[in-house]
Amino acid sequence: MAEKFRLEEQMVQRMRTPLVWSAVVGWIGCFIGYVIDAKQFHFSYLVSIIYFLSICLGALFFVMIQYVCTAGWSVVVRRIAETVMRNIDVCAVLFIPVLIGIPHLYHWVHPEPNDIILQKKAGYLNIKFFVARAVVYFGIWVLISRAIYKHSIAQDEDGKAEHNRRSMKWSAPGILLLFLSGSLAAFDWLMSLDPHWYSTIFGVYFFSGSAVAFVALLILFSMYLRKRGVLSKEITHEHYHDLGKLLFAFTVFWAYIAFSQYFLIWYANLPEETGWYLHRQEGSWLWVSLLIVFGHFLFPFLALISRIAKRNLKFLSFMAMWMMVMHYVDIYWIVMPTLSHHGVHVHWLDVAALLAVMGTLGVVFVSRLGKNAIVPIKDPFLSESLHFENV
Amino acid sequence: MSTVSEQMTRPRLVLGEQTYHTITEAISKIVEEKTPREWYIAFGITGGMTVMLGAMLAYLVMTGIGVWGNNIPVGWAWDITNFVFWIGIGHAGTLISAILYLFRQKWRTSINRAAEAMTLFAVACAGIYPLFHVGRVWVAWWLFPLPYSQGMWPNFRSPLLWDVFAVSTYGTVSLLFWYVGLIPDLATLRDRAKSKIKKFLYGVFSLGWRGSVRHWRHYEIAYLLLAGLSTPLVLSVHSVVSFDFAVSILPGWHTTIFPPYFVAGAIFSGFAMVMTLMLLARWAYKLENFVTRVHLDNMCKIMLATGTIVGYAYATEFFIAWYSANKYEQFTFMNRAFGPYAWAYWIMISCNVISPQIFWFKKMRENVVVMFIVSIFINIGMWFERFVIIVTSLHRDFLPSSWSYFKATYVDICTFIGSFGLFLTLFLLFTRFLPIIAIAEVKGVLAHELHQHGHGAAGSHGGKH
Repeated sequence: MAEKFRLEEQMVQRMRTPLVWSAVVGWIGCFIGYVIDAKQFHFSYLVSIIYFLSICLGALFFVMIQYVCTAGWSVVVRRIAETVMRNIDVCAVLFIPVLIGIPHLYHWVHPEPNDIILQKKAGYLNIKFFVARAVVYFGIWVLISRAIYKHSIAQDEDGKAEHNRRSMKWSAPGILLLFLSGSLAAFDWLMSLDPHWYSTIFGVYFFSGSAVAFVALLILFSMYLRKRGVLSKEITHEHYHDLGKLLFAFTVFWAYIAFSQYFLIWYANLPEETGWYLHRQEGSWLWVSLLIVFGHFLFPFLALISRIAKRNLKFLSFMAMWMMVMHYVDIYWIVMPTLSHHGVHVHWLDVAALLAVMGTLGVVFVSRLGKNAIVPIKDPFLSESLHFENV
Repeated sequence: MSTVSEQMTRPRLVLGEQTYHTITEAISKIVEEKTPREWYIAFGITGGMTVMLGAMLAYLVMTGIGVWGNNIPVGWAWDITNFVFWIGIGHAGTLISAILYLFRQKWRTSINRAAEAMTLFAVACAGIYPLFHVGRVWVAWWLFPLPYSQGMWPNFRSPLLWDVFAVSTYGTVSLLFWYVGLIPDLATLRDRAKSKIKKFLYGVFSLGWRGSVRHWRHYEIAYLLLAGLSTPLVLSVHSVVSFDFAVSILPGWHTTIFPPYFVAGAIFSGFAMVMTLMLLARWAYKLENFVTRVHLDNMCKIMLATGTIVGYAYATEFFIAWYSANKYEQFTFMNRAFGPYAWAYWIMISCNVISPQIFWFKKMRENVVVMFIVSIFINIGMWFERFVIIVTSLHRDFLPSSWSYFKATYVDICTFIGSFGLFLTLFLLFTRFLPIIAIAEVKGVLAHELHQHGHGAAGSHGGKH
């Protein structure tokens, strides 16, 4: 049975080749870019790594929720999710350039001498503590994701239900730890790009977008496998329908959080808070802001609301692709106005950084996926998942 | 019992040797039996409290808002605290009936009816406070944007007006949802009723339900649609309530996390109230076969999760107050934790954040007494949360010469106790006249379980009622 649910070597190869090229081209581009314009490189790279890391964190969140709720329907897609989540360790390594780039990225490293606010924050926003925190965050995420992954793989061998229980025991406190560390990470890596600005909801905002992007990736990758005849009978329209519901729900939740943040800042109109949004209305940034309103919420809201849309796999794949792009735009919109205040300047390094991180993560992802069965073959709820129907 | 048993099978949600008939019997019996003496005693007490509410409100209307302790700078105190408290209590009902329905959580069926009823009663209690706080309660209808000769319009830019829309929408949809769910059960009671009056009344309200396939089909569609419509309401109502505070520029009120934080708190407090009432109902009416340990275990977990989200929000607020380097923000939060209202703040923290942590332990999720005590703690803690947010942010405003310490008057206290009277009276009436557990839905769960676990447990598979 394990063999039947393992990706063929040929297929792994076929997936790997373009990813290797993506990594090679991307990294060469990054090196050249770093020499020419280090500041631009670091910003482009930050967008890229945060984008992919957020997807992996979304996967971690998804998997832990499945365990905590003893979800049955999702077992057939859980191994894919687990493999995405397992890649947080690669993200940790890929995060090193960000730490090197701190002086380029973060204004709080060299504040103006009369900036009293940043002086008060120096106890938190300083390079040593910043790096130490990043190590702790990644430590937590790698620890949890490895433990859960290990149990899931071990179950393929011995089929013991004990592994589910252990994963559940990891997941319950894991969700709490993920939220605490992830929120602080969002404060550190994204919010402190504009070190005077603050918003208590920012951590939730980061997570809601991550969840959207991960569910979108899960749909897309399952569809990719389906096209090649893998898991085409196991992941049914019922599962896609449910994943579509989640994509819709997280998109609406993201919009709720985004609206709450914008609306409260707009309404109170305090200068220490409105600056962040004002930057994002300057020049061509205004169009990006509007694109996010319409593209990240209004269009998918209308497009995904009906049952027919969620069960039409072609359309659902298109929407998943669309949401992945929108999540990138969202991260770009959070990060890049710090670099180019007066308008969008798309740079070739944005593409190079994207290719580099995507390629590297993709190669590891594919080889990890190829090593084990592609579904948790001995999960006690697998049969429930296989026979699952939306009623 | 954990939700995953030794063999990793789904735990059963309906216990005992049940058939469709025994379920109908067990639940209809509560309504059909002679009213127990204890019920009258309880009703006498809560009825008395309700009369006190009426008296306090009459006194308020005749005298003025000054009979409450509100005074500048604390212009909002127990009135709005109680409003938010009661609105929050209502949220568990909609969460259980709408969101848990969409998530296919079958265990909701045993508690959704009572939780929805509780929602309606809580909204009724909540409505009292803003209604009477307007002072001239006889012109409260001016809150609605009615085109009439005076040409006066409410301020559309005020979240207080949005509250009027949000809460009335919420009340209406919750009522519809509850009523639609009741129809098949009302028909069951109609068919079983012995007296003519009962038969007539249950008959009228069951809208001619005969349980045909067509009826069920329409019913299921209506139920799903109402669930879909109610789901955003779970979030929107308390978000709008949070806007009452968060759109201002007052430190302690103006913070962006308020909407989701209020929603989580509302669900938290609502679940605590459902827990309190369901444990009492389970004990009084011997419902252990329907409200099982699995149900209680799940409810404990939800309280743990939402309580921890609330704790996350407290921590984030505190951290960002420091991080903002804004001295007014910093002062407000230090004043909350260590100022004259520190006692209220620490009651809030102990009840809301610390006490539910006990549910990390399975043993505690099995102990009914512990659950009951913690649910009471949470009810108290969530009241204090609103009190802390409202009063501590106001009592030391930007002008130190006007700082003061709010003290509640006896009218404040008696009105609040009276609103509990109203709430409990309505709940007692509900247990007397309507099935407190959704009979038809529990049968659906039973059918599913018989299908899954083989047919050993029950004989009559297609029993009518």
